[in-house]
Amino acid sequence: MATESTPHDNKLALTYGAILLRLWLAIRAIQTGLEKFSGTRITDKAVSVDGAVNEYGLSAATATKQYAISNYSGVPDALMDKFKAEPLMMGFGLKIYDAILGPALILLGFAILLGVASRTSLFLLGLLYISLTWGLILINQNDGVAWLGTHMVLVALALMLAENNRFTLTKKW
Amino acid sequence: MNPPPSLITRRNFLGKTAAGAGAGLVLGAPHILRAADSTAASNKINVALVGMGKQGRVLFEAMSNIPGLHFQAVCDIWEYNLKGGMAKVRALQGEAPKGYADVDEMLASEKGLDAVIVATPDFWHSPHTVKCLEAGLHVYCEKMMSNTIEGARAIVRAAEKSGKLCQIGHQRRSNPRYRYTLDKLIKEHKICGQIVNINGQWNRAVASSQDLGYNPKLLIKPDILQKYGYKDMHQFMNWRTYRDLSGGPISDLGAHQIDIFGWFLGTPPKSVFASGGNDYFKNREHFDNVMCIFEYDTPQGGVRAFYQVLTTTSAGGGFSESFMGSEATIKISEISSSSAIYREDSAPSWDDLVKRGILKRSPAPPKPAPSADAVASYESAAPEVFELPGGFSKPAHQPHLENFFAAIHGKAKLTCDARHAFESEAPIYWVNPSALSKQPIQFTAEHLSV
Repeated sequence: MATESTPHDNKLALTYGAILLRLWLAIRAIQTGLEKFSGTRITDKAVSVDGAVNEYGLSAATATKQYAISNYSGVPDALMDKFKAEPLMMGFGLKIYDAILGPALILLGFAILLGVASRTSLFLLGLLYISLTWGLILINQNDGVAWLGTHMVLVALALMLAENNRFTLTKKW
Repeated sequence: MNPPPSLITRRNFLGKTAAGAGAGLVLGAPHILRAADSTAASNKINVALVGMGKQGRVLFEAMSNIPGLHFQAVCDIWEYNLKGGMAKVRALQGEAPKGYADVDEMLASEKGLDAVIVATPDFWHSPHTVKCLEAGLHVYCEKMMSNTIEGARAIVRAAEKSGKLCQIGHQRRSNPRYRYTLDKLIKEHKICGQIVNINGQWNRAVASSQDLGYNPKLLIKPDILQKYGYKDMHQFMNWRTYRDLSGGPISDLGAHQIDIFGWFLGTPPKSVFASGGNDYFKNREHFDNVMCIFEYDTPQGGVRAFYQVLTTTSAGGGFSESFMGSEATIKISEISSSSAIYREDSAPSWDDLVKRGILKRSPAPPKPAPSADAVASYESAAPEVFELPGGFSKPAHQPHLENFFAAIHGKAKLTCDARHAFESEAPIYWVNPSALSKQPIQFTAEHLSV
């Protein structure tokens, strides 16, 4: 026999949905921002040949990932050169964007995670994704545009579920 | 400083090649040139960067890892490159270099320079390098030495007349893996047996071979472009595709690898036969698809070397050189993952070499399943796969630049001075003429000597 769901059950499902979306979007933004501070540390050790350290400089390398402020790169170098060649891209704007992209993702991600001005934070994250989409359209990276499109759907869905959002630090905005 | 010994002269060329006596002398030994002037005493090398386009930036990034350098000046006719280069230098050393659009102006104004890094388009390599050598500076010049063999000859003459160091950017000559392979594996342990064939290739994807675009807001003024030999901004950005400005893909890409053929064999080729065409990029002046065969006489016997450069297709393994012998094939590349050593089934055991750390056995690949479309009796036994005992993790150009600066300090010999580079490059200048005439070219002293 089929059972009908109660308004209470639906409310719970919507709350779960809002929290899951909120967590997904927050983690996506935070870790993407943090990755812009990541780099690879290569540790080299000279290899021995015939019982002695080789004189050619051959070494065995061990790569370890590390995070540091000095590693920061907002827009990947490979894309940066393409953007610079775009007539619609303003050079000074690109520099600013490169500088703020990583921190903006981290800040917005934490705001969404902790529930600080949730709706406005989601809105700003959506704007950020739109800006990324515009850049990828310019350089004809259609796969990336589609990828960001799915993010936009999730942001919009999270905003639609905003009234079911719980456990937030601020209720306003 | 005494002028370096001439290894190929019109007088001795025929005798050397006919008897194979040039093997080991012509391209094998690194040229002995080292500086020991006031620079060594001050222990600081004042460097000027001439040309801050893509390759100039690659070299600068590699140099940024080398201590003891002071970047004093940057020169580029494009303000965009010039300002970008100056900013990079400032970010590295905390002090902005002087900026110039013109080399002559830079040489007239800058005092205390020791060395110049020339990374301008190919047709400017020779004029810029000769000027700097004549100004008493050591020069690291990107390859090719010039877009013409006469330009390359001028560099050799200027280097030898000035007594200054001139390193040409065939950076594999300083690459630890290449040097180890040649010295230890080919010369000392002779693991290839008799080398009879060389295969080299650079298969570049069509996406990487497209014309470069530019921001219309960053145009160079027409009179400046014309002053420096470009008809327009497109030609400035895409000089590699124009016959008057470069040697095309066989020069841009092939020269790096054809250089290794002669270096490893220790002798120049005796002939070249080439084929080329505009098979995809119909409107380009240079061939987009070139294949050529060089023939060499070595003390061990004849060697045929095939080289192809494609600008339409990356499949087939990218870029590498394979030295194929009776006992082994060494496939080597700047990319370590494209390098491997294959021991023929009939070759003597290499267990001792592995035990001593001279080689490393690669993990055995999965055995392919029996296939109905193969005739087992036609197949050779699969060779065992080995690899070098180590790699290196520096940027590809760094060891070559380190060698240049160490030579300035008098602590090393150049691994690719102008004369050795010329001997390597001279045969390459004849690939396009062979392809155009559809005729093989038998090399004489006129073709290959300074």
